[in-house]
Amino acid sequence: MEGVLEREGVFVLGLILSLIILLISVGIGTWSRRLTRNLSDYYVAGRSIGTINNGLAMVSLALSLTTFIGLTALIIQGLYVAVAVYAGFTSAFIALLILAAPFLRRHKSFTTMAFIAERYYSRNLRIFSVIVMLVVSILYLGGNIKGIGIVFFYLLGVPEVVGILVGGLVVTLYVVLGGMYGVTYNQTFQSIVLLFCLMFPVAIILQQLGAAGWAFPPLGYGDMVPQMLEKVPHYFMPMVVHPVTYLAIALGSFFGIIGLPHFVMRFFTVRDAKEARWSTVLTVFLVGLVNTTVFATGFAAVYYMQAEGLVLPEAQYDYMVFILTEALAGEGWLAIAIAGSVAAGLSTVAGLLMIMGAGLVHDLYGSLKPEVDDQKKLKISYWVMLAVGIGVTLFSLNPPEFILEAIMWAFGIAGASLGVPIVLGIWWKRTTKEGAAAGMIAGFITSFIPCLFILIMGMDPTDIPVPVIADYLYGPLGWIKVIAISVPLSFILTVVVSWFTSPPPDDVRRSVDEMHGWQDYKEERYNGWGLPVVVIIVSVLIIASIFTLYDTFAHIG
Amino acid sequence: MKGYRLEAWLTAISFILIFIFGGAISSIYILGIDAFFVEVNDLYRAVNYIMGFPQHYFLLIVLSWLGATLIGIIWCLAMDRLERKQKS
Repeated sequence: MEGVLEREGVFVLGLILSLIILLISVGIGTWSRRLTRNLSDYYVAGRSIGTINNGLAMVSLALSLTTFIGLTALIIQGLYVAVAVYAGFTSAFIALLILAAPFLRRHKSFTTMAFIAERYYSRNLRIFSVIVMLVVSILYLGGNIKGIGIVFFYLLGVPEVVGILVGGLVVTLYVVLGGMYGVTYNQTFQSIVLLFCLMFPVAIILQQLGAAGWAFPPLGYGDMVPQMLEKVPHYFMPMVVHPVTYLAIALGSFFGIIGLPHFVMRFFTVRDAKEARWSTVLTVFLVGLVNTTVFATGFAAVYYMQAEGLVLPEAQYDYMVFILTEALAGEGWLAIAIAGSVAAGLSTVAGLLMIMGAGLVHDLYGSLKPEVDDQKKLKISYWVMLAVGIGVTLFSLNPPEFILEAIMWAFGIAGASLGVPIVLGIWWKRTTKEGAAAGMIAGFITSFIPCLFILIMGMDPTDIPVPVIADYLYGPLGWIKVIAISVPLSFILTVVVSWFTSPPPDDVRRSVDEMHGWQDYKEERYNGWGLPVVVIIVSVLIIASIFTLYDTFAHIG
Repeated sequence: MKGYRLEAWLTAISFILIFIFGGAISSIYILGIDAFFVEVNDLYRAVNYIMGFPQHYFLLIVLSWLGATLIGIIWCLAMDRLERKQKS
């Protein structure tokens, strides 16, 4: 049986629910405008956001349209490996918590780029950080707005370009009007929507497929495993890839989430470090709940395709969750699932627009013209945010083909270029401007150039003109091993170059103690040999592991 | 133990655990293949099952979610306590 999910005519119920989501979002943005009085309000909501609000906002920031569309497709293609990718993403929030979140909050910057500038006493690094931020944001963003357009076209019967323009302009409107207050309250609302719109349809899908534990989707399909193993015996096999793949996934997730500026920006909005900590715990619990539910969806999708003999073009794997919902739960739940996917898409796009606008005005323009006062910057912010929103919407009319792959690259590039200097800047006083520069540049080059060849130019990873490493990038998600080089290399260069350059100034070293909450200063804190030595040893071992064990696992790939 | 050392050690241990839970655990399954799998006609079946799921799959999804959350909670409680001491 061949499945095609295209509608003849408009799916009225789905369109109505989606439009309600869009209208509520604009309403929240408009209402939030009255709360914005100054630059601090516009960029970081006056640092007034509480634990639950921030936690929920981060959930929808984390769970983009890829949760509804891309992950199910990835599981159909990658099986266990795809599950491991999102398992890494779930626990990455705890890495963000313990390595960065509360410390960044105490630093009192507005953005990641501002933190880099102040910690490394360098305007040039701030500008470089803005460039990296724009690259990763565009990779992350283009697919999401296009995803909204695809949802409108395939599922609602509305032309794709209309969906892209409507989705892009709605988000632009409420970000421009409401600033970070509008973004935060919208993300909170959208989190609640997507939690409901994902969990309930999946429970019904599992019920229809006969799962005994359908009422709790994350762990409710265990009794279906024997039948799955008869149909797809290798569904649960982790050894279809080289073991270094999983290390690369962890590195990319953990340091990528720290390096992605739109995640970090959320921590600048909370009241204090304690609220930053606990909001992240709430986030990881809810993100895990959703991700394990999507694992169930992926399982159900593969099971259903095998059971029904369903043959789909690869490009339509993205819609399996909707195909399943319509086939097994009915059109009412399909409409709800579509509305949830629209909410998911909007929330992530809003966060990215916010950081792009803030980066261009506060960090780039602010660096070049430091004499400009905050009120003028605020007025410029409105216009820049509008221009960025329109620009990104137009870019989304022809973005990269693979949404989730673009996002995974964004994680890797952000991790190697920004995540490493942030973590070392917080935990090792001896990290210098020169060390950070070496690590950031090397991390960016070694991750972005392969991305250009593989994602943008569409080359097979083993054919890229990068000597030594290309031969080892074979297999499912083979390109991801690039991250197992770029992140450790960034660490090695940051540490080694820091050792050979002058220590940071006194005020910068004091700021490290302040970030950790100390009222006094002691030179020996966060200034030992242990951390840098361990970092170098582990980094070298990870890089070396790419080129080893291939005889042992000759059957892999 | 001095406050900052306790903070650093607790963070390091938490990081190692979540690095394992969130990614490296799959590498451990491959490298310790005999403990988790039995070969059947060139494919591998799990030796043990939990709640119907292959043991390794169950551990991956539960540890990366609930395990990571629990580590986060413990770390936050410890940091809350440290922060109170820093302020006193």
